[in-house]
Amino acid sequence: MAGGSGVIVVLAWRNLWRNYRRTLVMLLAIATGVWAMIFFSALMRGMTDQMVLNGLATLPGEVQIHHRDYRRDPSVANSIDAPSGELLAALQQPPVEAWAGRVRVPAVIASERDSRGVTLLGVDPDAESELGSLPEQIVQGRFLADSDDRGLVLGASLARKLDTELGKRVVIMSQDPQNDVADRGARVVGIYRARLASTEEQYVYAARNTVQGMLGIGERVSEVAVSGGDYRRVDEWAPRIAAAAGTQLEVLTWTQLDPFLGSMLAMQDGFTVIMMVIIFLVLSFGLVNTLAMAVFERVREIGLMQALGMRPSLILYQLLLESLYLLLLGLATGNLLAWLTVKPLESGIDVSGVAEGMEMMGMGTVLYPALAVEDMLMATAVVVVLGLLASLLPAWRAARLDPVRALNKT
Amino acid sequence: MRWIAVILGLVITTATWAEELTARDIIRKAMDHYRGQTSYSEMSMTIHRPDWERTMTMQGWSKGDKHTLVRVMAPKKDAGNGTLSVDGNMWTYTPKINRVIKVPSSMMSQNWMGSDFSNKDISKDTAIIDDYTHTLLSTGEHEGHALWTIESIPHEEAAVVWGREVLVIRDDWVLLEQQFWDQDGELVKTLKASEIREMGGRNVATVLRMAKVDTPDEWTEVHTEQVEFDLALPDNLFTLSSLRNPRQ
Repeated sequence: MAGGSGVIVVLAWRNLWRNYRRTLVMLLAIATGVWAMIFFSALMRGMTDQMVLNGLATLPGEVQIHHRDYRRDPSVANSIDAPSGELLAALQQPPVEAWAGRVRVPAVIASERDSRGVTLLGVDPDAESELGSLPEQIVQGRFLADSDDRGLVLGASLARKLDTELGKRVVIMSQDPQNDVADRGARVVGIYRARLASTEEQYVYAARNTVQGMLGIGERVSEVAVSGGDYRRVDEWAPRIAAAAGTQLEVLTWTQLDPFLGSMLAMQDGFTVIMMVIIFLVLSFGLVNTLAMAVFERVREIGLMQALGMRPSLILYQLLLESLYLLLLGLATGNLLAWLTVKPLESGIDVSGVAEGMEMMGMGTVLYPALAVEDMLMATAVVVVLGLLASLLPAWRAARLDPVRALNKT
Repeated sequence: MRWIAVILGLVITTATWAEELTARDIIRKAMDHYRGQTSYSEMSMTIHRPDWERTMTMQGWSKGDKHTLVRVMAPKKDAGNGTLSVDGNMWTYTPKINRVIKVPSSMMSQNWMGSDFSNKDISKDTAIIDDYTHTLLSTGEHEGHALWTIESIPHEEAAVVWGREVLVIRDDWVLLEQQFWDQDGELVKTLKASEIREMGGRNVATVLRMAKVDTPDEWTEVHTEQVEFDLALPDNLFTLSSLRNPRQ
């Protein structure tokens, strides 16, 4: 029997190349289809990844701990003690990679010419840099040196609107827990640039101890942001943090903090599969046609093999093998093509021509396609499974041929 | 402190005055001069814009550096609106809605009652004494009075946006001019006295105009109609309940 299937394997391979032109055309079609599947899912993954990462960088963290009332009223009165005891222990063990306590209060920043409402972030630069939530790019000056830095870091767009610049003094005003005015002058020590102008206009960075001193809140913070690697796996470890934080605090994952981001991710995964199936459906017509043609040409031959005693299951097997070879060759070429085209583009595709529209969706002006192994595996699985299913019909019909009629066919 | 003024009156040259008085003392005295230990004043405020103008009359009380109460008397639709400022915090009262509202920090740099003064100008006008470093730029003369021109540079972390302020003060402690400069050395706005009269036993700048340099046809002018200094004021005057229920 083993010998029999060995023959079948060789037969299927040789049959494939009897009409090599037709096989090459079909290969080209499959390869193009696979390339399209992977290329477009890489583009889409890049877009959603970017949206989610942008979102997570401004959230920041995959999990946040707040006072129960903070999200309803983000005032300084709803602050929490810096993590200690059990919570601190939970934050210091894996999978938590980084965490930071930060003060985050609404504030007003004023220059000689204008004043604007902003969100004042009192941050510890070291902890935040581990969290990856610092501005990506400091275009002028420097970022805060430590948690006692007296300076302010503004977004480029905000600095322009306030008509101020690096090295000038501005006044930052907020309220202390007694609702009294808390204000101080501070020098702009750095200007940052973010992907979105709206981010630049909203967030003003100051050192945490300085902000705590200005607001008179001691060591208290507004939120604790926690990060633990892959944002898609947050549900595995968030409950442990919640248990350690106790019932007094609110512990939420990013999908709860920003449901839009969460649903974007689910939508993207769904979209990828749907797109792959559609591309394959188009492809499958060609595939079925090719196989049906191959069977039709070889009716007499199949009849002969049956007359010589080959069992119908082996004929079915042989035709499915042919189809599998074709699919695998197409997949290999398609995956390679996709890899070759996406890799050089991973450094970014400039789409600044449609920058405004992209910004509306929370994305920057550069698209970064992301080639994911999952997408390549998914494309392969879709093509192999559906391809074999589609080939089943012509192969089954070939196996069911009546040898006498088949031999007599002219 | 009045004896200083008496001694100063005896000194002949302005140069020697400058040596004896620091710039900070001069500003301190100018602030004390127009606020007194306590003061009561009646004034009218005219807000001028290219296409409209309106005038309000109001009463004001002050005590020390940190207590100020202002109440609008006319026109009728604004009458009763009050502003209380204590220790840099500020509350407003509007009879129409019968509410005392604390002015949040986000509104402190907004204008006060639609004028060219900001809420901060009203609630923290004496903060200049401690928040700035003062130097005497020059001495001059004006209508028989000596003039001091003082440059005040805010301390590094003072809650002040200006690069510097320049104050012109006369030797009878009348503040003639206050200029607000930005950090690029450009003049942004000026508060200028255009009439000085004797009132309540002192020389007082009775017409003060605040105008931005960029928009010369928009200004706010405050005319002081009557002023009394160092009178006895009830202790509960600068409280929220007095803001809501006028007893005067």
